[in-house]
Amino acid sequence: MFKNGLSYAGTIILLLLSHAAMLGLVLVRSGTETLPLLILTAAVLGLDLVGIIAAACYRQMTYTLDLILLGILGMSLIYQSCFGGVSLSVKHLITCVTALVACEVGFLVTRDHDRIRRQKKWIYALIGVLILAILTLTGGRSMWINIGSFSIQPSEFIKPCYILICAASIVELHKKVKVLFFWVSVDTLCMCAMTIVIFGLQWWCRDLGSLPTFGAVFGCALVCRLCYPRAKINKPAIAILCIGGLVLAGAAWMLAPPYVQERLHVDIWADQNGAGYQQCQALIGIARGGWLGAGPGQGALHRVFAHESDIVFATICEEWGLLYAGLTVVMLLILLTTVLMDPPKSYYHATMAAGVVAVFLAQMALNIFGSCNLIPFTGVTLPFISQGGSSMVTCGFLVGMLKAGQSPLFHHEALRPPKPKRRTDPERRAHA
Amino acid sequence: MKSIRRGQHLITLMLLLFLAVFGFLIYRLQKDAGFYMSHARNAPLGLVYDRRGDVLYDPNATADQYGEDHFLDISNLIGDDAGQMTNTLVANNKAALTNYSFLLGEQADGKAAVYTTLDHDVNRAVYDAFGKKNGCAVAYNYVTGEIYVCFSKPSIDILDGYENIDTLESGSMLCKVFYPTVPGSTMKVLTTVAALEHMGYDGLMSRSFSCSGTYTDLGGDDIRCHQRSGHGQQDVVKAFENSCNPFFAQLVEDPGWSLDDIMETYRAMGVRINGEGEAQSMDVDGISAFTASTVLTDKTDFNTQWGCMGQGKTLVSPLQMMVWQSAVANADGRTTAPYLIARTTDVSGNESYTASTSRSEAMFTAESAAHMREIMLTNGRDRYSSLLPGTTVGVKSGTAQVDNGASENSLLTGFVDDPAFPVAFCIVIEDRVGGEVSNTDIAGKLLQTLKASLA
Repeated sequence: MFKNGLSYAGTIILLLLSHAAMLGLVLVRSGTETLPLLILTAAVLGLDLVGIIAAACYRQMTYTLDLILLGILGMSLIYQSCFGGVSLSVKHLITCVTALVACEVGFLVTRDHDRIRRQKKWIYALIGVLILAILTLTGGRSMWINIGSFSIQPSEFIKPCYILICAASIVELHKKVKVLFFWVSVDTLCMCAMTIVIFGLQWWCRDLGSLPTFGAVFGCALVCRLCYPRAKINKPAIAILCIGGLVLAGAAWMLAPPYVQERLHVDIWADQNGAGYQQCQALIGIARGGWLGAGPGQGALHRVFAHESDIVFATICEEWGLLYAGLTVVMLLILLTTVLMDPPKSYYHATMAAGVVAVFLAQMALNIFGSCNLIPFTGVTLPFISQGGSSMVTCGFLVGMLKAGQSPLFHHEALRPPKPKRRTDPERRAHA
Repeated sequence: MKSIRRGQHLITLMLLLFLAVFGFLIYRLQKDAGFYMSHARNAPLGLVYDRRGDVLYDPNATADQYGEDHFLDISNLIGDDAGQMTNTLVANNKAALTNYSFLLGEQADGKAAVYTTLDHDVNRAVYDAFGKKNGCAVAYNYVTGEIYVCFSKPSIDILDGYENIDTLESGSMLCKVFYPTVPGSTMKVLTTVAALEHMGYDGLMSRSFSCSGTYTDLGGDDIRCHQRSGHGQQDVVKAFENSCNPFFAQLVEDPGWSLDDIMETYRAMGVRINGEGEAQSMDVDGISAFTASTVLTDKTDFNTQWGCMGQGKTLVSPLQMMVWQSAVANADGRTTAPYLIARTTDVSGNESYTASTSRSEAMFTAESAAHMREIMLTNGRDRYSSLLPGTTVGVKSGTAQVDNGASENSLLTGFVDDPAFPVAFCIVIEDRVGGEVSNTDIAGKLLQTLKASLA
């Protein structure tokens, strides 16, 4: 943080001011009563305060990510509390706090790359448990576990685990065995096997919207593994892999189930009340909002299903305008850009960071471009902005992984102050 | 560090890729926002005007403001945004009419407007001239493509809303100018053009066939002439004037050409034959218009000969019949595309679209077009000189059997031979028997009123 020329105090003031400005805008443009706005203000500023105190509890090399995350969560809480009328979204407030906690957990779990590398087998086991949970508890070909009024999506929790097994140290990459004509590391083989299992699960559970996200992580991992330092980059192998990937993608495109085919080929304007309903309403909402928006709580998209999750970008555009929605995207990008400004300190963390960025960008692209009909609509969440507990916890954990790369722990003893050596009596005497 | 930098490069690449697509998305959103808004319910729409500034559509129109029946003649052409009539000017041009901009948002008092080429006064005068008869009429400038007159009767009065929709006469909510009808003998224009193309003018003129009132074709079926006593020996010019069915049946059977020759010319003129290929349509500022179709199997087959005379399974839209006239009237075999919208303005009043003339590739040779033109003008001089006194009008009439021969429609299509008044037209009067009004009356009213209005 200091290296980047900003002071924490200044940034915190900026953070509080930006949230206050948004709340001021709500006051001016929403025409709401004072009480709901006061409650919302208390919740947002309280969240900021809790976040700042929580971050300060752990010694880190930089707190940049914590503050940016707080900024985004505050924005998200304001957005979600204004859709269709100003009223604090308690559910979203709880998930925001949970995301902050998950962020700290992610940071603590992954900051020691040696330990996490040594315990990779347990990560494989955890993924196995999650897959078993999906297969046994979701009740059919679904990704959701319903407990009373709560719904959990275990496949979300697979994402950080998958990134951890896709990340690799140079030592792991040098342990190779010959498979057919190629020398491949054992770690890569295990990763590929797990990838096939996860992709198969997604296909089986008809959750094809998450496939591009896992595919992006896998692609990053492959690139990192093919181009690591001193690797003999095998151009034919890369070409074969690329062709294989394209063939697989083509086959998936052709063999996709009918409901996916419909989404791939739907002419939304010709089917406005059917398969294209959400996208049409989203685009109309964006158009209605224009650059400056209709005003917080003044939109009509809140009547459309999944306005707070799958088409949340459009809902923000309608009420706050494309300027604010664009600013939100920029904030998310700045969060990811910190990896470039303050690079990870180890190769393992660097590959892990690439996976995290891939997940964030893939989900942002699927959500924003899908709801705007630039690509097929898949119905995934926009990180930190969409409502959804599983998604918020996962995204919080992923930001914790990014933090881990910036404030790593190389040895368990590193942060402990060295114990003072006890002087022997002859030494004392000599000293005296 | 080099290893970490490679990871950084990968992240940079992904971020740049996302940013590029996001930038494109913002560009597309602000560019297409008007189109998206045109699909929104209750979006504020602007007005539609005729060529003189008379209002043809006002989303807030009342009878007190415009008078009773003000929109009656153009309601099923101009339409509205209620969603009941989809193949109309307003329904298909809401993006241009929406008072909205991405920067300013919705503007109830914006200046978005569509300025049409229609002449409402003439349109209404000809509509009223139909009296109790139903039908449709369309007229346009065959040089520029501007549509001056276009209506379909019966119509709906938009000011009455759609509450009495069940009591409306059949066909009230669509403009029949754009829909298929049996063309009757007006189709003989195409058959004559086909003969000119494949026999040559001299070859065609050298042929002469006899009409005794009934002709038994090579397949053994009788083709009857509307003149029971027959027309005697005729060449094509006389037969065209007489609209003689036996002549054209013998012309189709003539060994000097094949069915493929006829089909070749028909296809070139946009006729879909025997259901082959995709159904074709003509676009008039978003309004979809049927073109033409027929069934042709064998030259000696009664139905094929009947089809070449515009009966049986032959269908053509009145718009298409009028457009064919432009290829003849311009004497170059190229049609002029018709249009209704002259220009549009956006929410700020700035001109956002200006129409321009568009012409097709040659569908038949200029030589054939010139000869066809002369044949039609001869018919006009001999039989329709009263249409527009002092000016020759190239004409072809037709009588179409509809509802399996239960009733007959009367058609008239043609063009004015006047460079200062280059108008082509097509008129259809439904159920002509016992009518108090003829096609000649309607055509005369149309041409004379329009000429006076454009003068």
